[in-house]
Amino acid sequence: MNSVLKHTDAFNLEAAFRDSHVADVLEQLESELVGLAPVKTRIRDICALLLVDTLRKQAGLSTEALSLHMSFTGNPGTGKTTVALRMAEILHRLGYVRKGHMVAVTRDDLVGQYIGHTAPKTREVLKRAMGGVLFIDEAYYLYRPENERDYGQEAIEILLQEMENHRDDLVVILAGYEDRMDRFFRSNPGMSSRIAHHIAFPDYTAAELLAIADLMLDQMQYSLSAEARTALEEYIERRQTMPHFANARSIRNALDRARLRQASRLFNRRDASLARNDLMTIEAADIRASRVFAETPPPGRQGELQP
Amino acid sequence: MRLTQGTFSFLPDLTDAQISSQIEYCLQRGWAVSVEHTEDPHPRNTYWEMYGNPMFDLKDAAGIMREVDECRRTFPNRYIKVNAFDSTRGIESLRLSFIVARPQEEPGFELLREEGPGREVRYSMRSYATRRPEGHRY
Amino acid sequence: MKRIGNRTASDPAAERYRAGVLKYAQMGYWDSGYRPKDTDVLAMFRITPQEGVDANEAAAAVAGESSTATWTVVWTDRLTACDRYRAKAYKVEPVPGAPGQYFAYIAYDLDLFEPGSVANLTASIIGNVFGFKPLKALRLEDMRFPVAYVKTFAGPATGIIVERERLDKFGRPLLGATVKPKLGLSGKNYGRVVYEALQGGLDFTKDDENINSQPFMHWRDRFLNCMEAVNRAQAVSGEVKGHYLNVTAATMEDMYERAAFARDLGSVIVMIDLVIGYTAIQSMARWARKNDMILHLHRAGHGTYTRQKNHGVSFRVIAKWMRLAGVDHLHAGTIVGKLEGDPNTVQGFYNVLREPHNPVDLQRGIFFEQDWAGLGGIMPVASGGIHAGQMHQLLTYLGDDTVLQFGGGTIGHPMGISAGATANRVALEAMVLARNEGRDIWREGPAILSEAARHCTPLRAALDTWGEVTFDYASTDTPDFVPTPTAAA
Ligand SMILES: Nc1ncnc2c1ncn2[C@@H]1O[C@H](COP(=O)(O)OP(=O)(O)OP(=O)(O)O)[C@@H](O)[C@H]1O
Ligand SMILES: [Mg+2]
Repeated sequence: MNSVLKHTDAFNLEAAFRDSHVADVLEQLESELVGLAPVKTRIRDICALLLVDTLRKQAGLSTEALSLHMSFTGNPGTGKTTVALRMAEILHRLGYVRKGHMVAVTRDDLVGQYIGHTAPKTREVLKRAMGGVLFIDEAYYLYRPENERDYGQEAIEILLQEMENHRDDLVVILAGYEDRMDRFFRSNPGMSSRIAHHIAFPDYTAAELLAIADLMLDQMQYSLSAEARTALEEYIERRQTMPHFANARSIRNALDRARLRQASRLFNRRDASLARNDLMTIEAADIRASRVFAETPPPGRQGELQP
Repeated sequence: MRLTQGTFSFLPDLTDAQISSQIEYCLQRGWAVSVEHTEDPHPRNTYWEMYGNPMFDLKDAAGIMREVDECRRTFPNRYIKVNAFDSTRGIESLRLSFIVARPQEEPGFELLREEGPGREVRYSMRSYATRRPEGHRY
Repeated sequence: MKRIGNRTASDPAAERYRAGVLKYAQMGYWDSGYRPKDTDVLAMFRITPQEGVDANEAAAAVAGESSTATWTVVWTDRLTACDRYRAKAYKVEPVPGAPGQYFAYIAYDLDLFEPGSVANLTASIIGNVFGFKPLKALRLEDMRFPVAYVKTFAGPATGIIVERERLDKFGRPLLGATVKPKLGLSGKNYGRVVYEALQGGLDFTKDDENINSQPFMHWRDRFLNCMEAVNRAQAVSGEVKGHYLNVTAATMEDMYERAAFARDLGSVIVMIDLVIGYTAIQSMARWARKNDMILHLHRAGHGTYTRQKNHGVSFRVIAKWMRLAGVDHLHAGTIVGKLEGDPNTVQGFYNVLREPHNPVDLQRGIFFEQDWAGLGGIMPVASGGIHAGQMHQLLTYLGDDTVLQFGGGTIGHPMGISAGATANRVALEAMVLARNEGRDIWREGPAILSEAARHCTPLRAALDTWGEVTFDYASTDTPDFVPTPTAAA
């Protein structure tokens, strides 16, 4: 197999990199996603692996069929879905998947209600995902050991078969909270062994969350006044320690509510003329009106905090 | 005898790669693709057996090739075709339909003539294979 | 035209009828401020006025003579809502690059026409005006039919979609051939050509326009032999096949008799000639619809009035009339063959026949937007001097929904008729396959054909025989809005 190597041939990794146009996506990843250093490093590693693999193929060197099924573990709002979408695009540019789309599903899309229902459902989803990435959010719900007759097991088996036998047709990414995923993998060693890359998404630091807020505001063409910025810093500190904190998603939600308050503030003095800047600026009041700043959160509340 | 229904019957039997790229052509146009099989290839047999429903919203031919493969394995000695449906207003019909597997032996058709007055002839044709019961024809 | 009579300030309508002979424009047939209604029938004429005749007045004259006017005013007009019935020339513009010629746009109120009658429509629009003295020449370039009017026609008896479903043939143009020689073959020999061509791989064979019931072959004999051939070919291929049995005859009674016989023998298609007239065509379309038969129309005779650019009726208008009248197949040019056909102009014809809706497309000679309101499409037929070596060009220019008729290209094949048919079918399938695979067939066409010929000797022979044959003459019927006419490739 490996006898074709010619020592004199030059293989240009830089050119392969350029030709793949993967740089754009990596750059986008860098500029649109704050933090996530370990994740970004792993993605670069995978890119390098695929590029080198391409060159090895050109050199006639043995190339083990790569398995690129992955698990993304992390708390809510740490960017798993977002990164998976980029991953699909990257794998497409590097020629690992043919189309580069992502099909995102949860248990309900795969598992049926009665005998004979699950296999066709799972196969249907697999067919739609072929050529791209199948993203299974909260994958552990597929496995319900408490229920002996659960059809989730059937879906898992079909997935395993697919992941093993048709690596070139699709990449499966399983996502969910770290602890539950760990338990899931422990009870499904077959699944665990077919996942080549376990990527952990850390919680964002307060500074990162602030940077994420800046990025989001920038995209929406808003800006914070100096006082509002301080208020948001405080907001983040408080929010991080409260229940149902969802990292970047909590930031997005907070900003959405701040926009609402800004609009209502402007509306209340609608007789005054407004400058372009007024329309763009979020003031401290828009943030400080949040219940996060109340001494204690209202007792017994479930879910995201409301204004 | 070689049954020449379908878009590509005068070419050498298509390879899987060729079949796959025709399917890609269909998917790129947003057509739904289906697999059908029969033991009764009479040209007026409009309704071959469906091997599953037409497949909608697929991005890649691999999923359909999987069905083609399975159908060929399940019915190794039947006519199998791939159809593509276009739901565009004013079309709402097949856009492509080609044979992807055929029985080893194709006995062909018998032409029956019923003679009437004034040299008038009523024709009908019948596949030799359909003399045997379903499931035992090829 | 002179004006007689004195003007006195009074009721304008009353004054008008005191006038005697008035200019058409003054009679109300010219109205530059008129905004055509959605329900108006619109026509666009190319007019070449006589020396000294004002273009607007000439346009008004055409509007007048194709609607309510006569050469003088008549008091009986005043018993009618004549303002409404007068056609209105509403726009006149010089033809680019053709001094002395003008495009005249005329609007006709819907009430001027009997519902569902091409004869009535044409009697109005082209009935009287083409010999009109103040014009040197006149050509009907295009028409727009309002949806309300289109809906009074049943349209094609079968339509492209149903034809394909009935024939079980999808994804590629259909293939046909006209039996040659046109005249003189006995019924038995004639049927032989049909059998050879169909079993070799064609979908259709065709009678020629002037094959009816002559001493060398009476129509019943032709029908019986052809249907024997068709059915034999179906049995050896397992495909649906057809022969366009020409039922053109002296009277409707004869045509119905022949069509019924074709139906009883199991034919899927019958054929008529354009020369039988619009009423006969509509009658046959009705018959075909009722009897589930495809109706093929051979445009015999059209060249007498469609070809010259300054006078007559553009074929695109005939195509529109025939879509209303309800035929299923219509010869519409090949672009690359031996008969007239500029690529843009011919593509315009094809679009008129096939599309559910035509946008304005000046390059292709389409001056009006036309909504076909769900009317079926006509399958355009390309015939005349085409051969397998042009398959990439034919497919690129004409698309899938067309019948490619290779008469000489089948029957004249050095290895025989059946081989000729096979060559065409293989060439076509190989080209469609390659196109669908994403290959650039325009450029790679000859290579694709050569590859296909490696497993098909008849195709090799066809390419060797006709590979170089082209008919590269300038077209006479070219669009006015393309700076340089595109020559047939
Ligand atoms: N590092 C980041 N920089 C900028 N925006 C981010 C970052 N991470 C996440 N976001 C934004 O936060 C939101 C939530 O991200 P995403 O849906 O990818 O998280 P997730 O981990 O999939 O969450 P869950 O597990 O709850 O589904 C999105 O709007 C995303 O754009
Ligand atoms: Mg998510």
